[in-house]
Amino acid sequence: MSAAAPPVRGKQGPDTDIRARPVLVRPARPRRPGARLVFLAVTAVVVLAFWSVDIDWSQLAGFPANLLRYLGLMFLPPDLSTLPSAFEATVLSVQMAWLGTVLGIVISLPLSFLATAGVGPAWVRWPLRGLFSLLRAVPEVVIAVLILSVTGLTAFTGALAIAVGSVGTLGKWGYEAMEGAERGPSEAVRAAGGSTAQMLRWGMWPSVQPEVLAFWLYRFEINVRASAILGLIGAGGIGKVLADNVQFRIWDAVGTLLIVVVVVTVVIDLVSGALRRKIITGAWR
Amino acid sequence: MRPVRPRTAWKGLLVLAVVAVITVWAGFGVQVDVGALIKNFSNAADKVVLLAQPDYGFFPETLSALAQTLQMAVIATAAGAAIGLPLSFLASRVTDPSRPLVAVVRSVLNVVRSVPDLLYAAILVTIVGTGALSGVIALVLFNVGIVVKLISEAIDAVDRGPLEAALATGATWVRADRAAVLPQILPVYASQTLYVLELNVRASTVIGLVGGGGLGILIDQVRTFYRYHQLSLIILEILVVVVLLEAASSWLRKRLVS
Amino acid sequence: MTSTGDRAADITFRGVGVSYPGGVRGLQDIDLRIPAGEMVAVVGLSGAGKSTLVRTINGLVPITEGEIVVGDRHLPASRGRELRELRSEIGMVFQSFNLARRARVIDNVLMGRLHTAPTWRTLLGAWSRDDVELAMQALERVGIVDKAYVKAGNLSGGQQQRVAIARTLAQQPKIVLADEPVASLDPPTSHTVMRDLERINAELGITVVINLHFLDLARRYGRRLIGLRGGRIVFDGTGEEADEQVFADIYGRSLTGEDVLEARAQL
Repeated sequence: MSAAAPPVRGKQGPDTDIRARPVLVRPARPRRPGARLVFLAVTAVVVLAFWSVDIDWSQLAGFPANLLRYLGLMFLPPDLSTLPSAFEATVLSVQMAWLGTVLGIVISLPLSFLATAGVGPAWVRWPLRGLFSLLRAVPEVVIAVLILSVTGLTAFTGALAIAVGSVGTLGKWGYEAMEGAERGPSEAVRAAGGSTAQMLRWGMWPSVQPEVLAFWLYRFEINVRASAILGLIGAGGIGKVLADNVQFRIWDAVGTLLIVVVVVTVVIDLVSGALRRKIITGAWR
Repeated sequence: MRPVRPRTAWKGLLVLAVVAVITVWAGFGVQVDVGALIKNFSNAADKVVLLAQPDYGFFPETLSALAQTLQMAVIATAAGAAIGLPLSFLASRVTDPSRPLVAVVRSVLNVVRSVPDLLYAAILVTIVGTGALSGVIALVLFNVGIVVKLISEAIDAVDRGPLEAALATGATWVRADRAAVLPQILPVYASQTLYVLELNVRASTVIGLVGGGGLGILIDQVRTFYRYHQLSLIILEILVVVVLLEAASSWLRKRLVS
Repeated sequence: MTSTGDRAADITFRGVGVSYPGGVRGLQDIDLRIPAGEMVAVVGLSGAGKSTLVRTINGLVPITEGEIVVGDRHLPASRGRELRELRSEIGMVFQSFNLARRARVIDNVLMGRLHTAPTWRTLLGAWSRDDVELAMQALERVGIVDKAYVKAGNLSGGQQQRVAIARTLAQQPKIVLADEPVASLDPPTSHTVMRDLERINAELGITVVINLHFLDLARRYGRRLIGLRGGRIVFDGTGEEADEQVFADIYGRSLTGEDVLEARAQL
């Protein structure tokens, strides 16, 4: 009996060989009730959200034309005379992001060491990990609102907010990287009579260093965006200038500001991305 | 023979010096003032006390804003994922035979993605008015950028064999993509959509700070009137919602990928 | 390199036992004396407790019964600073080399100076001239000083293990423990590494305790053999005394090609 015979289909026409093959029964189409249920539930949630939300969807009809009109106001042409002040405001935002990142690193590095299994005692490790997840769960802007509502609005407190917001992710990435590092070198340092600090420096740091540096750069990229947002709620920099110009409907200046934001963000991402690749792979490109 | 010690230390020192210089420059830029900070903090002790005591009686008043936050997140995720999927196929060299089109779609979306969602919202609020709609549009813009980046990268990594087979049967590119590539990326697509939903819930809680609807509007109100015990309740709610959603989402995503 | 005559230390086990959490027993009733300057090979099947035995000597595995005396220091009584001092007098070589692969060879060897150098120097990597000199001498002794500024990960397995030996020499130890030092190496390289260990024992008078799986290596390089089975010592004598019957006792079966390095090399 030829086991390799393909399943016979009735509509294959007058195949002369057809009776020589074993008759196979067509299987029923498989049903996946679980998948169907999930699909229905997701659809229901989405439909419900669209139907129940307090939005007048008819407004959307005029939106494309409206958008084009405003884009025209912003970019045809942008008011390039505001370019220097836009650039200055962007520099402040980048400074805010940089300082926030550096402070975040300074705070998070020792904390992530302490949160690493085998380094800090359990009663330090678990509260720290809880703190990291707490800080990651709250959006940076909310942390900023909290800090800003206590200390007032300045670029410096904005940088502090960014620092605190960074501690959650940097701390978590840090201890995960160190726990993922090979254990051997650390054991060797222990066996040579090294202390915990020396084990971190010579057993763990060499193998996690590139990864951690790349994390820092990546966090800086995120913080550049965060600092622009913090400006919107009053911390200064490009966000504040943008909010002011939107409020007074000076659209050609808004256009210039948007261009500057895009160019600066893209350039920073490109440079930082190239640096990260160099750090991880050891070669430019 | 002992080797000569290579002089590489200056590289590290140079990097360190550059970082230090930029940091000092940034410090001057943002006008670091530790004295004022300490003064402010000591003046603010009573605010901190209020923050530590959430006003649970305020909870019913936050419900509609909380609901709106979730609605905005769901709507924006659905719209962003729906718009992003076809664009992802246009943004990958695997599925899009036209190199110039790939380049155009990619660079436009890179530009779109480089503007933070709250900046979109701040501008859209004046164009379409305050409320959930401007928030949703801002989120959708941002989501399309993320979805296309993540999904087109997944498409780039897909096995090309089935696509070649489909094209060899004489199918058009659109049909071949649909039949040979879409099934391969569906699990990734579903998983990344959930990830975008996580991002959106966070973002939609704050987008109201610039007038985009949801809990953010409430945050702005209680902040303006210095009602710190209500502010801390709202933050607590955000925390609970985000943590619950992330737990659910990461559980689902693990099942999707395996 | 300083003379080690006054630095040597005897190792004494008194009724030592190790049980792991969950009730698994690693070692039982170990009574053993290893005089200073001896070269000892510990043999046995994997799981017989060889690694555990060696690691109790520097406290990497804490003992749960009995006492170990190394020189004038006592385990498990030594903890913290005292334990680190004990460890600094004992070098250790591992099966998987345990080098920081992204650090340079010289930095890895200088890890042997971690205990002695001031903390700020060790954390910054600002090693003193004397420490660097010591590390260079250690590298010269194992014959790879030319690789001093190469990243450790770029060396072959045999070279990496010699760096690891240099790291223990930089500690100026009284004792060197080697846990399956050649298990990851090919036969010719295995002999090079074993000869390095033999030389530091003969020339520096350092006590060497080696775990070995391969019997021919154990008989050839160990002047004293200790056989472990099920966490207990079942043989303790010279290589000549260890005949086929003794090995059958240790291994619980007669020998196969898997247990002999040269035979395995021909497989």
